[in-house]
Amino acid sequence: MIRQIVIVALLNFRNLRRRFWPSLVIVAGMACVIGVMLSMLSVTDGLRQAYLNIDDPLNAIVVARGSAFEGASSIPRAQARLVLNAPGIARGADGAPIADATVMSGVQTRRVGTGGRAYITLRTFGPKGTALRPKFRMLQGRMFRPGSHELIAGYRAQGKFQDTGLGGHIIMPDGEWRIVGIFRIDDLSDGQVIGDTETVMQTMRRTAYNRVLVRLTSPAAFTAFRRALTTNPALSLDVYRWSEWNRKISDDTNTFFHVLIYGVSVILAIGALFGCFNTMYAAIERRAREIATLRAMGFSAFAVAVSVMLEAAALTVTGALLGALVAWALYDGVPSGMGSDLFTLRVSPAMVGLAVLWAIAVAVLGGLLPSVRAARRTVSEALRAT
Amino acid sequence: MKYVPLVWAALRRKPIRAAVTFLSVTVAFTLFGLMIGLNATMNRMEERAHADRIWTLSRFDLPGMPVTVARRIAQLPGVKRLSIMSYVNGYVGDPKNRAGIIFLDDVYGTIFPDQGPSAAQWEMLRRDRTALVMSRKQADSFHKKVGDTFTLVAPQTARADGTNLWTFHIADIYEDVPQFPGGMIAGAYDAYDKAVPLADQGKMNEVDILATDPAQAPALAERIDRLFANSPTPTQSQTEKMIYSSDNGDLDVKALTRKIAVIGLVMILFLIANVIAQSVRERQAEFATLKTMGFSDRLMVLLVVLEAALPCLAGALCGVALAAGLAQQIPLLLPRGYGIPTPTMAPSVFLWALGSAGLLALISAALPILRLTRMDIATALSRHAA
Repeated sequence: MIRQIVIVALLNFRNLRRRFWPSLVIVAGMACVIGVMLSMLSVTDGLRQAYLNIDDPLNAIVVARGSAFEGASSIPRAQARLVLNAPGIARGADGAPIADATVMSGVQTRRVGTGGRAYITLRTFGPKGTALRPKFRMLQGRMFRPGSHELIAGYRAQGKFQDTGLGGHIIMPDGEWRIVGIFRIDDLSDGQVIGDTETVMQTMRRTAYNRVLVRLTSPAAFTAFRRALTTNPALSLDVYRWSEWNRKISDDTNTFFHVLIYGVSVILAIGALFGCFNTMYAAIERRAREIATLRAMGFSAFAVAVSVMLEAAALTVTGALLGALVAWALYDGVPSGMGSDLFTLRVSPAMVGLAVLWAIAVAVLGGLLPSVRAARRTVSEALRAT
Repeated sequence: MKYVPLVWAALRRKPIRAAVTFLSVTVAFTLFGLMIGLNATMNRMEERAHADRIWTLSRFDLPGMPVTVARRIAQLPGVKRLSIMSYVNGYVGDPKNRAGIIFLDDVYGTIFPDQGPSAAQWEMLRRDRTALVMSRKQADSFHKKVGDTFTLVAPQTARADGTNLWTFHIADIYEDVPQFPGGMIAGAYDAYDKAVPLADQGKMNEVDILATDPAQAPALAERIDRLFANSPTPTQSQTEKMIYSSDNGDLDVKALTRKIAVIGLVMILFLIANVIAQSVRERQAEFATLKTMGFSDRLMVLLVVLEAALPCLAGALCGVALAAGLAQQIPLLLPRGYGIPTPTMAPSVFLWALGSAGLLALISAALPILRLTRMDIATALSRHAA
């Protein structure tokens, strides 16, 4: 049986050249579907990866109970102090817990190029800010001095936001704050600016933190840490592993975009499916005699049907790979941004795999009826057909 | 007109092929309709934006502006009327179900008569401080009807009573307007102001100004920002026209939708071109006969173009009609709290669709026509004999 399928399939592929233009309909159609889909997914995947990069198995994040995002979380100073004394937090050489209660805010700048308004994310570091981020390093300049109007900027920020290079200024409520250093952490922070927590809170008139980031003694210490905080009636907090929280945040935005992206892709794919159906249908019509001859020679109907499907699949997969190649060439590794998040677009191998799956699905759905028809036609009828 | 039966017969010759062609064109134009319809909605939003309205917000993420800011703006020349509002954001039941209430003063409805609620509905808020009016989208998403109780949990906005639960009853539901894709929930500013702790009273998030002269509105906006530039609460003012202008954001949505629409058409172009080429090739002899009978080249061109145009135009119309139906379903698919403007099938969308369909038909008929006009009658006829 397998042998039969292989023989018929090979026969199909060999005379594919004669059906070049019709076959191109399938290839081009599928390439359009996948090209569009992966181009759009490169944004959500890039964003997701950027969020997943903010990961350290030792770090845990504490936010106010029920906060869907950091901006919606506020932790009063008194509660933050209790968090710092919870069990499971690693301690530095000075004996103080490696934990950092911080605030965040959007600060207005101008966009590079158009000069339009844009918001850059301002985060803050307390004394333990860098200890929580082993990957943190200064590329240029120096660290801000607490108490003075100074900020440090991520190395990517100046690609999008004006005046965020070394020596640039950001306008804060109490005047201009100078950028005294450029840093890199290899996560979303690279497109943000960072200042001293207490100084920023004073300026922004904040009385509460947005989150507390802590470094645990070991990843296993998380459970005890969480239990200590969530069972304390004086606290109203949620505790997440840092990676878990970041995945939650990125999934939240991505769900929305995925609905739109897959919506568009499904409609396109239905179009491609009809194209596939039409082409394969025409192909078996034209090869009616050839197929009948094969059948007369003893090839089974099943082998014929499968070979038609195989041909359809080969064409759709070729198209999908072509589309993926175009999307990859255009977008993989391209720096991009969404809102105040700066990240790199990504066309990952997993996405190419997804593309191939879609191609196979289109081939199966679009090739099913033609292949059944090819198989079910009686030999005598087909041989008589012109 | 008398040749229509001829075209019809040609299409009916291969009913499956004709049907599938029609269906794939329909699918492509469904996408086209959704995309260009979204474009149309966004254009309408831009057009509808009033040049004489200015929105003034706090430039920084500070906890509320004092209402005195509004009083000082009211004294500026060129200000006809102004209104203040505060927002409370939180969730309903579960943090995933994000929601927010906009608390408006009694003037708002007279400055924004076009934002959904009717004069009678604004009056309900004025009469009853425990009332809310809700847009249909919001009401549907929270399964609320008139008379129901609505409780917003707002972790960041404490009330004077020590809780952060904001409970109201739903006085009425109004139909959504495209300006607020996610819908809106409106309450009375007084209800908000009297509910927050004394220290937070007399604060607001936004001032909306009606300028006496739309031409002077941009200058007025700048003047407001200059007035407060060195105050404890710097402001940021924009005319509504600027806010709704499409080049304001990161992503040029309009350009993206056009690109997707065009890709859908390109995909379908291959299919139609192939189908027409195939159909003409199969009927070479028939065309040769027509030519022998004295049909002019021009007439045959017309026949082929009509054969391509019929499914294209019919598909375009059906596709856009289908898009109009699908557009209404989009809000149901999106996660709660997210909204996109609902695509509208304005007459312009139909015109664009029909125009593109005609163009598709012409392009796809071009090659077969070229072949037909160069056809050698004798060979074509003899091939038929063989």
